[in-house]
Amino acid sequence: MDRLRRAFLAPGVVTLSLLFVAPLAIILLYSFQSRGVYGGVAPEFTGDNYSRIADGLYGAIFLRTFVLAGVATVGCLLLGFPLALFISRAGKRRNLYLQLVMLPFWSSFLVRTYAWMVLLRDTGLINTALTGLGLIREPLPLLYNDGAVFVGLVYGYLPFVVLPLYATLERLDKSLTEAAADLGASPWQTLIRVIVPLCAPGFRAAAVLVFIPCLGAYLTPDLLGGGKTVMAGNLIQNQFTTARDWPFGSAVALVLMLLSLVLLVVWMRTQSEDAL
Amino acid sequence: MTRRTWFLAGLSTAAASCSRDLRPRLNVWNWSSYVGPETIPNFEREFGVRVRYAVYESNEEMLARVMGGNSGWDVVFPTSYLIEPMREMGLLGQVDHSRLTNLGHLDVPFRRPAWDPELTWGVPYMWNATGICYAKSLGVTAWADLWRADLKGRMTMLDDPVDVFGACLRKLGKSLNTRDAADLRAAQGAAVAQKPLLRAYINAEVRDQLIAGDVVAAQLWSTTAQQALDESDKLAFCYPAEGFALYPDVAVILRESVRRDLAHEFLNYLLRPEVAAGVVKGARTATANGSARALLPEAIRNLPTLYPSAEVLARGEWAASSSPEIQRLRDRLWTEVKSA
Amino acid sequence: MSRLLGLYAAAAFAFLHLPLLVLAVFSFNESRFTVWTGFSLKWFDAAFRDAQLAEATWNSLLIAFAATLASTIIGTLCAYGLWKRSSRAVSGTLYLSLVTPEIVMGVSLLAFFQWLFRYVGMHLGMHTVIAAHTMFCIAYVVIVVSARLRSMDASLEEAALDLGATEWTTFRRVTLPLIFPAVAAAGLLAFTISFDDYVITSMVAGVDSETLPMVVYALARRGANPVVNAISTLIVVGLGVLIAVSSKLQETR
Repeated sequence: MDRLRRAFLAPGVVTLSLLFVAPLAIILLYSFQSRGVYGGVAPEFTGDNYSRIADGLYGAIFLRTFVLAGVATVGCLLLGFPLALFISRAGKRRNLYLQLVMLPFWSSFLVRTYAWMVLLRDTGLINTALTGLGLIREPLPLLYNDGAVFVGLVYGYLPFVVLPLYATLERLDKSLTEAAADLGASPWQTLIRVIVPLCAPGFRAAAVLVFIPCLGAYLTPDLLGGGKTVMAGNLIQNQFTTARDWPFGSAVALVLMLLSLVLLVVWMRTQSEDAL
Repeated sequence: MTRRTWFLAGLSTAAASCSRDLRPRLNVWNWSSYVGPETIPNFEREFGVRVRYAVYESNEEMLARVMGGNSGWDVVFPTSYLIEPMREMGLLGQVDHSRLTNLGHLDVPFRRPAWDPELTWGVPYMWNATGICYAKSLGVTAWADLWRADLKGRMTMLDDPVDVFGACLRKLGKSLNTRDAADLRAAQGAAVAQKPLLRAYINAEVRDQLIAGDVVAAQLWSTTAQQALDESDKLAFCYPAEGFALYPDVAVILRESVRRDLAHEFLNYLLRPEVAAGVVKGARTATANGSARALLPEAIRNLPTLYPSAEVLARGEWAASSSPEIQRLRDRLWTEVKSA
Repeated sequence: MSRLLGLYAAAAFAFLHLPLLVLAVFSFNESRFTVWTGFSLKWFDAAFRDAQLAEATWNSLLIAFAATLASTIIGTLCAYGLWKRSSRAVSGTLYLSLVTPEIVMGVSLLAFFQWLFRYVGMHLGMHTVIAAHTMFCIAYVVIVVSARLRSMDASLEEAALDLGATEWTTFRRVTLPLIFPAVAAAGLLAFTISFDDYVITSMVAGVDSETLPMVVYALARRGANPVVNAISTLIVVGLGVLIAVSSKLQETR
């Protein structure tokens, strides 16, 4: 009996071990080795790669990654909460609205990022429209900067935030809001003093859910940041390709992974608290 | 669904993945816009083969992929200063002169070049210089002009450490082949100072942006600049006053290649004067092939961008390969510039 | 306040959908610039004629089919195994694979394959891409199928076992048909994820395995290109249809 159950898991376990665990083990090994003269991996062992991360320059990159991810998360929460609120009050149309929110998320991420390039470039739609309306004379530099990356991240992960917030709002005890109204609170006051605090666990969970992918973002800063906005993901890619410094790239990759893992654990904790 | 259906589905997928084209194959990886429109198709027709032809934008991109020794490519076109490092890494296969009957067509400077006097490792293909492509109205004449604050956000530099540091070194009055670490660090300092003024580090892709007017001054290779000049009369190209880099791109056969015979045929084909001339006419490059140059129409043969006069050429410096320590230092400094 | 909320929601929906709509609209634009000069199908025409695009699309489809097949089978079996007896190690690893940044997964797979090929003498190609795609799709399949299994009535299995069926027969004849809509939905989901992947594919692709996202990325890097607009519209519509079908299948009746 037990052997059969194990047999069901076997293909999955083999695939995971071979194509997930083993690769991570290899880059763990590489992260302690040194770069060959022209690139690649040389067998000398060293802890240099990790101490280099603590170095001011790369520390700044991680800091910037955190800040951008954090700001994007806050943006998503601020923009997503009212939307989730609206949907939770929408009655029969709820599912339709939820589908509408998720729909863009399921189409190609690459295409969605590209769409913002088309909108934001100097000869893009926004600048053309503003110039056409006579509001500006020179095109605004909307693309290839941190702002564009911020917009791209929020756009990319907004749906990620709406669903859990909606779920939390759904589970709210309606009697509490009614009680507040009965006690004379205006809709605004009810919102700020009752609903939002009650949703705190939902905010925490949604925040972590968005923060993790933003932390590991690569395409968005690459296309929308013009290669000038270097987040951790871009640094890793760069080290494995043009810089040809696999050991250092491995170290950065593992540090990023560790951060994501820590956040995942935090998220799982918030989930179990929430369920209580 | 029954087992049979799954089985059939799997079988048809497997069948579909079998290639239908049984002609011999050659995998060639070249710089973008570096062949004429008929160059590859004519080769395919004449030799009855299929060429998988793809392009890259930078030496680093190519090297990163080829370095593993199992990339699958047969012929690539590194810049001359990479020949020595690639040879050290065991990536190159020797070229057999007995199969390259057209070798004699090479122009004099390329017959016994400094990086490979016996031409054991590759065949010079086209050559380039790095200069500045700019909007005519601006009057750019020197590298220092790319540090101008009034052009902030509308300038780009090449995404290549050798070129960027080369420009910085020349701006500081040093040789771009310097072996002095202090010089390189000074160059890095200049690059870091310039970075906030730049729109991006970008290679040939900037051509479209120059034509569109998004970018007004770009460090660019002469070939790409000529291609831009062909499409827009608002652009000009200058060979900076402080000096500039000259480099040939060399066709090499990778050691991992299992199609050496066909690769040799291809290299020999590229050496034919008509073929080289065809590439120049189609892609506006500067050829290393002397006989081909003689075949070119007057207008192209004397294009100042591609074939500058002797005085201009005298300001240039042929890029040489660096010592391993300098190479390492340069790669490290470049990462830091890009990450700053 | 509800009116404000309604207005806000309208703006938010616009924010979510406008970029793609704009892209779609301009893929029919005659001019290559962002000024509307007339309706034209020429960019679609150019897209269909491009040999490189055709090959890349074919590669993407092939990879997606193969990876979907493999990951759906492996994932379904895995989900079933986990449902019968949970394993923290396995589900933990699966969650980890979901949370791992794509770039980390991509470089680690590249490092693994390059290391492997020192001893095995292969090189990067379609097979490495398919293997990579199978890997990252499994977790999604497991999630979808597990959700369905959890809402399934376990007593049906017990009844079959009581009647003398072996475990395997029970799975094949009782459970699988019941969860099949979820399996199909998971497969469609895996297909869209595999088809759209850029980051991991770009790291492990070889000479002959250029995919559609790789071509789109290269074109996008050069700046906005109306042919990319056309391709993008096609991709969005195609994937949209698949996802719509997938979510329909996931609705428990």
